[in-house]
Amino acid sequence: MTETRTRRGLNPRWDVNSPWLHLDPLLVLASLALSLLGIVAVYSATRGIDPTAYNTFYLERQTLFVLVGVAVMVATSVIDYQTFRGWSPALYGGSVLALVAVLSPLGSNINGAQAWFELGAFNVQPSEFSKLAVILLLAAFLSRHEGDLALRHLAVALAIPAIPMVLILRQPDVGTVLIFVAIVMGMLLVGGAQVRHIVVITLLGIMMVGVIVNSSLLEDYQRDRLTVFLNPDEAGEEAGFNQEQAQIAIGNGGLTGRGFGEGDQTRSGLVPEQETDFIFTVIGEELGFVGSSLTLLLFSALIWRSWRAARLSRDQYGSLICVGVLTMLMFQMFQSIGMTTGIMPVTGIPLPFISYGGSSSLTSFAAVGLVLNVHMRRWR
Amino acid sequence: MAKDSSRLRLNILGIVALSLLGALLARLWYLQVLTEQEFQQQAELNVTREVAIQAPRGRIFDAKGRVLVDNDTTLVVTMDAFILRDQLPGRDERSALALRLATEISMAGTLTKAVSIFEAMNDPKFGPFEKIPIAEGVTDEFKVWLAERGDEFPGIEIEQVTVRRYPYGATAAHFLGYVGAINETELERRATSQKPYQRSDEIGKAGIELAYEDVLRGVPGTRTIEVDAKGNLIREISSVNPQPGTDIQLTLDIDVQTLAEEQLASGLEFARTQQEREKGFFPAPAGAIVVLDPEGAEVIAMASYPTYDPSEFVAGISAEQFSALLAEENHSPLNNRAIQGLYSPGSTFKPFTIYAALNTGLMGPRGRITEYSPINDPGYFIIPNCTGGCEFQNAGRNPYGAVDLRRAITVSSDVYFYNLAWLFETAPGVPRESIQTNARSFGFGSLTGVPLAYEAAGLMPDPELMAQRHDEFPTLFPEREWRAGNTLNTAIGQGDMGVTPLQLANAYATFANGGTLYAPNVATAALDPATGEPVVEYGHRELSRLYLPDSIWQPILDGLIGVTAQEEGTAAEAFQGFPLADWPVAAKTGTAEQLGKFDTAVFAAFGPVADPEYTVVVLLEEAGFGGDVAAPVARRILEPLATDTVRPAEPVDPTYREALGLPAVPIEAEGEELAQGVPAEGGAG
Repeated sequence: MTETRTRRGLNPRWDVNSPWLHLDPLLVLASLALSLLGIVAVYSATRGIDPTAYNTFYLERQTLFVLVGVAVMVATSVIDYQTFRGWSPALYGGSVLALVAVLSPLGSNINGAQAWFELGAFNVQPSEFSKLAVILLLAAFLSRHEGDLALRHLAVALAIPAIPMVLILRQPDVGTVLIFVAIVMGMLLVGGAQVRHIVVITLLGIMMVGVIVNSSLLEDYQRDRLTVFLNPDEAGEEAGFNQEQAQIAIGNGGLTGRGFGEGDQTRSGLVPEQETDFIFTVIGEELGFVGSSLTLLLFSALIWRSWRAARLSRDQYGSLICVGVLTMLMFQMFQSIGMTTGIMPVTGIPLPFISYGGSSSLTSFAAVGLVLNVHMRRWR
Repeated sequence: MAKDSSRLRLNILGIVALSLLGALLARLWYLQVLTEQEFQQQAELNVTREVAIQAPRGRIFDAKGRVLVDNDTTLVVTMDAFILRDQLPGRDERSALALRLATEISMAGTLTKAVSIFEAMNDPKFGPFEKIPIAEGVTDEFKVWLAERGDEFPGIEIEQVTVRRYPYGATAAHFLGYVGAINETELERRATSQKPYQRSDEIGKAGIELAYEDVLRGVPGTRTIEVDAKGNLIREISSVNPQPGTDIQLTLDIDVQTLAEEQLASGLEFARTQQEREKGFFPAPAGAIVVLDPEGAEVIAMASYPTYDPSEFVAGISAEQFSALLAEENHSPLNNRAIQGLYSPGSTFKPFTIYAALNTGLMGPRGRITEYSPINDPGYFIIPNCTGGCEFQNAGRNPYGAVDLRRAITVSSDVYFYNLAWLFETAPGVPRESIQTNARSFGFGSLTGVPLAYEAAGLMPDPELMAQRHDEFPTLFPEREWRAGNTLNTAIGQGDMGVTPLQLANAYATFANGGTLYAPNVATAALDPATGEPVVEYGHRELSRLYLPDSIWQPILDGLIGVTAQEEGTAAEAFQGFPLADWPVAAKTGTAEQLGKFDTAVFAAFGPVADPEYTVVVLLEEAGFGGDVAAPVARRILEPLATDTVRPAEPVDPTYREALGLPAVPIEAEGEELAQGVPAEGGAG
């Protein structure tokens, strides 16, 4: 008895008042390792071909984003996640307002999507942050109705993501909408939605995708991108060309890769949007199968630890936050890598931690911060 | 319950995550390990390009080492149709760009049509990654201007290329020839060439450029480069340097060539001021001059009129321009009449008829007549026992009275030759076709073997050819039977006989050098472009030696000298005041009659008689009597040669003029030949 108590007393991990002692180092290490890989890949994709005057702009910015991201991760894990329960309606409301504002002349159109606020030297993408706001509010709502979810509660649970989704579709940014679909499905699954409801929602979701693809909401090029995946033989089209070039790049990497800065396709600039949506081609070509599987391993670590945190969470609220983050990271990873390897349609989604971009990086770090938060407060 | 359900659902999520990761891993394994090689090859193909590096062609020098065809660099606007189509997918966008580009280039000083740019975009002659030239010779300022606007003109670039330069302008254009883009036929024919060709490479098209293509062409180098998606150079992987082509030294003397071209043009111009009694002014549209060194039959000058400017071909010639150069109504300026034109030699053929008579023994100590036998020339000859078309006349039916061999040549008595022909027709033991057989030994009726393309073989009519032509084209050639009249016409170089000016010159050169028939040479050596040392020397090409003893040679020569030296010689007037005592000239005038056309004036000469250095043939189409118009032209070429006062040719290109210390722009030579006056009336042809 005493021995046990003593041991408990001596082992700080049993001290529920010291959440930092329950930090998950693997989660932190995996996110940092992915970020480093990302900085390297972004540099290789953007430095240009002139050895005397390499472009370091993206390198510097991405490094800055990662540093700020780490700070954000610390911040989101410091505050007890229970606090977010109260904040979540306000966060949600704020992000919906931001999404409305971005559609107004306040926002800017970059690459055909009205998705950015230009703030000085930085462009902020509110849809990235809205993912977290939805996760937090949905987790709070679903955890309040633990057990079998009644139909009217389900309706509310669907309405919460639906508002930002519609706004984001107006930008238009199909990729982010699809991430929301994944997040909602994952959280409803674990959050206790009835199986028949899930089946119906899935069917409705498929129908909705069909309607979106065939509606005038999408520009022609977007429809092409989504459907070229179904008809890869029409490789002459721009979208097919991009995906083919991406696959050539990854295939060109072979087992051990061409080496940093030695990717033929990467250096030639044959792969489009290579520092953002197609960033994985840099890793695939220059670091090979070894580097690619290392990346997958690091993502597996993120997913595994998030999944574990969801299991260990002392309440349903924390568990659902972890599930939301997990499905978000998992879907983004699968879609982004799947697109470059030709098993998913072409739609622009950043690869978490790796793609160049401030909003994406900060959101990813904040998301992992939330999981860390839930994990280290599992005893209280 | 809820807890367990939640656990179960989390596990389902975990399984989904695992399967997605597994799918990605499997796909990566497939792409990067199983099919790696295929993708690596594709990646390489994607980014490496082989670019040919032009090798400069060999230069062309005249006999005294002056450069006649040089290389120069110029700025060429090129277009990469692949990039252009990639950046401007719309047809309208591209045509707008073509219009803007044409306007800008034209404003910068190089006239360019939008239509030709637009057509060049779709020209199948150029490969997908090949740069299509659209304008040549733009300024450095335009290059800078374009460089600043690269984004507005995707795929449009300025490249430095080597082009042909002609320091002496259009002089010797036919002889030197020109270069142009290789066509499909040429590409096929040169497929096995040691110096490989690519589409849009340039190749010699005519003249020396074509004849010595294998020598002049350099071996192109190749540069293997890595490029990005827009075709921009990333780095050079490897490169093989081009080897410049070998230089050629010609037998041509640009001073004599310039003289010959000037005299040809002014001779024709003068002829156009003359009137024929019935038909009016002579049109004198065209002509040719050949100057040979009889020893080895080396071409010293070869002029053809009308001429063209080879520099028109430098930037690529338009279809209209090209067909204008070929058009018959323009008298086909592109034709080199010296080797391609077929003419009746007229009386200039007569010495070879005499040769036939002396060589067969028809004339001679034991023959039917001797060289001294006088034949009465009443001005006409009637074929005995003949019906229809039996009377053959001298020009103007002039009677010459008693005519022997020498006088027959000197005064050009046709009747004397009709008599000889009649003897060939009738004398037993002498073959009927002796004139043809002997003329052939001087090279008539076959290619001279000059190394220039498109040479005409000439035509030496005989019974066999006559029958053959009738059988093939009965309506065109209604007569099948060779008659005595045909032999009579052959004896005076009329009828169907066709010779090229070079052929005629070579026959006279053969006579002049004592009977050695050579294939004419146009080049003496191929020179190493770096050292100027000969790599190959082109020696004389002796074809045969004729039987030409003094007993045959001397009487003919005497007759030929009489043409210029004796008062009754047909060219005596033209050679008045010529230093014949120091530099005697053997010559023969000719006037070729053509049905329905004006007479063609011919003149053949060589000198100095003792040791001939030059053989000259002057031929002026539809220009009158040989003695009237052709002989004065030859005289004005021979006189500077005889007195060693040939005016040095001046380059027209300012750069080359400066190098020689000449003013950049030529000062107009005043008091040209025409003003000196040309004898208007002369003897018979």
